[in-house]
Amino acid sequence: MKSRTASRTADLFAAQPLPAACARPSEAISREAMPAPPPAQPASRPRSNQLWYAVVFPELDATRPQLSLQRLCLHAQQFTSLVSIEMPNALLLEIKGSVKLFGSLARLHAGIDAAWRRLGLKAQSAAAPSTLAALWLARAGKQVLLEDPALLAGQLAALPLACTSWDAERLRTLSSMGVRSVGELLRLPRAGVARRFAPGTVLDLDIALARQAAPRRGFVPRERFRARRDLEMEVENAAYLEIAVAPLIEQCARFLRERQAGIQNLELRLRHRVGAATRVRLGLASSTGELRRLTDVVMQKLSRLDLAAPVREVALLSGSLQPLVATPLDAFNRVGGAGGRDTAPQLVERLRARLGEETVYGVCSIAEHRPEAAWRRVHALRLSAALRGNEKTDRPAAEHAMPRPVWLLAEPVQLCGALLFEQGPERIESGWWDGKGIARDYYIAHQAQDPHQTRGARLWVFQERQSKCWYVHGVFA
Amino acid sequence: MSREILSIDRILADARVWKLKDASAAPPRPVWSTGNSSLDARLPGGGWPTASLVEVLIDDTGLGEVQLFLPALVASQRRADGEIPWLVWIAPPYEPFAPALSQQGIELARLLVVRPASAMEALWAAEQTLSSGVCAAVLLWLKGTDDRWLRRLKLAAEAGGALGVLFRPERHRFESSPATLRLAMTRGEHAPHLELLKVQGGLPGPVA
Repeated sequence: MKSRTASRTADLFAAQPLPAACARPSEAISREAMPAPPPAQPASRPRSNQLWYAVVFPELDATRPQLSLQRLCLHAQQFTSLVSIEMPNALLLEIKGSVKLFGSLARLHAGIDAAWRRLGLKAQSAAAPSTLAALWLARAGKQVLLEDPALLAGQLAALPLACTSWDAERLRTLSSMGVRSVGELLRLPRAGVARRFAPGTVLDLDIALARQAAPRRGFVPRERFRARRDLEMEVENAAYLEIAVAPLIEQCARFLRERQAGIQNLELRLRHRVGAATRVRLGLASSTGELRRLTDVVMQKLSRLDLAAPVREVALLSGSLQPLVATPLDAFNRVGGAGGRDTAPQLVERLRARLGEETVYGVCSIAEHRPEAAWRRVHALRLSAALRGNEKTDRPAAEHAMPRPVWLLAEPVQLCGALLFEQGPERIESGWWDGKGIARDYYIAHQAQDPHQTRGARLWVFQERQSKCWYVHGVFA
Repeated sequence: MSREILSIDRILADARVWKLKDASAAPPRPVWSTGNSSLDARLPGGGWPTASLVEVLIDDTGLGEVQLFLPALVASQRRADGEIPWLVWIAPPYEPFAPALSQQGIELARLLVVRPASAMEALWAAEQTLSSGVCAAVLLWLKGTDDRWLRRLKLAAEAGGALGVLFRPERHRFESSPATLRLAMTRGEHAPHLELLKVQGGLPGPVA
């Protein structure tokens, strides 16, 4: 039944003339599938300037595939500079250039294979002029080393569709149509396939047949600075530690300068004779590679450190490297204003290193009627020297009828004592939608002190409209 | 006779001699208005001096003590070169209410609030920010401190070209202080009572 439907579909499509845009089915397909009608247009020549080598590890540790594959990438990089990860369990190596270096494809293959054997890993590999062809062949367990793109279609035809790793639904539909191998799919008219299945299907076939370029991103090992230093004597005093750490910081700054990179995180590890190492984490307000800023932060933190035990070894580890953006320097060496010796990021990170991350913050105002929701603390400060136009705070154009107080109490405090009213009321009624609704009448008032007939603090008070209770919410300082 | 007059002239010409009535002869420093005309009139140059330490003695908040400095803070952020300097508030008694500050014209993206755990750390933070050269003004709230730290703050303010403002309780009124300006604020019958305790280049006394 199913096969009859499939053949009828194929007949139907074969009877129609192929539209020009879909007339791509190439020589290879036509030769395989439809020997009788010649292609409507000369097919584009398959591209063959690449040679891909796919390795599939069927028994890879499934818990942390990303990490395992990254480690395997490092091994694979001895054969080629472009190694790409294909989740969940495969690597793709571009080996066009390496073939010449290693003599022949067979010798290269033997070398790569030996690498996995040494690691005790079971691997299935295949080479083909396109990424997907190599991958599909490897997944199917066919150890084929194919250099000629013209032979691709023939080699792929026999593969079961399961090796494409397409989603289950697509595979189910295909199998219900009676299409079980790549060859059977290639035999179907392109327009119909493009219409019936996800657009990726036709694209994948084109990529597999090396008709469509599919650039891949190579794996770049993450680089970090890591250096340690044994101390000649055990150090108990943080002041001596500063001297011991200084060369490490210098080394780190040089490392960063050579790579034109900056870091935002540092970790200092102090190893003791017994017990776990003390880890000191340092954060910088912005990415930097400057020796002075790095030293500043490390020293600031060290001076506040209580050493639990004498230190035998110090190690400095950097966070991930970030490319530094070059900034124009002032010809007259004017750094940060009058008599300036700091820049804003430097100042903020020095404060944060000593006082703690959470204690240094900015504030921003939010367009919201409820006073308690109209402001927020900002910990991610914008430290660049110049504010762009859109970063500037919009001045609310006198939208508040009444002035607002400089201090806002964290919680409104119930009011006691007499008041002298100055201005008001201003009704604020908002927030019924999120369960924190308020209905208040705000006034500006002075505390009245009867005994001396003096005026006290100027307050922002309100009366809760439901309970008629009075509260203080702000102070005009 | 003439010899004596000459010597007085020579003494007056000495840069170390400070002439009380002749404050205008000093090289003009930029000043920022206080927003209070009677106070402006009493201050040399007509406003808060830059690159100096101002001390405000006040027992309870709510007398408009921050308001005295807000016009100066706004003015300090308007620099000719388009760069907006930072304002730092260290250990304020309550949370600064952002809408109020932006209502007054302060650039909130350039305001830093610091909440140190102790008075020593607050003083350290004040010294760092004052001398950094990226801050236009630093406001600091403290319960008490000693003379030595105040001198350090003053030197830091001069080095960094920033206005340092220190709010302290009134009980420190009779202690000596190196601040350029000392001001006491107390409750008054209709308006808060202002008294200048020390003015370099001006006359101390109550402000009408």
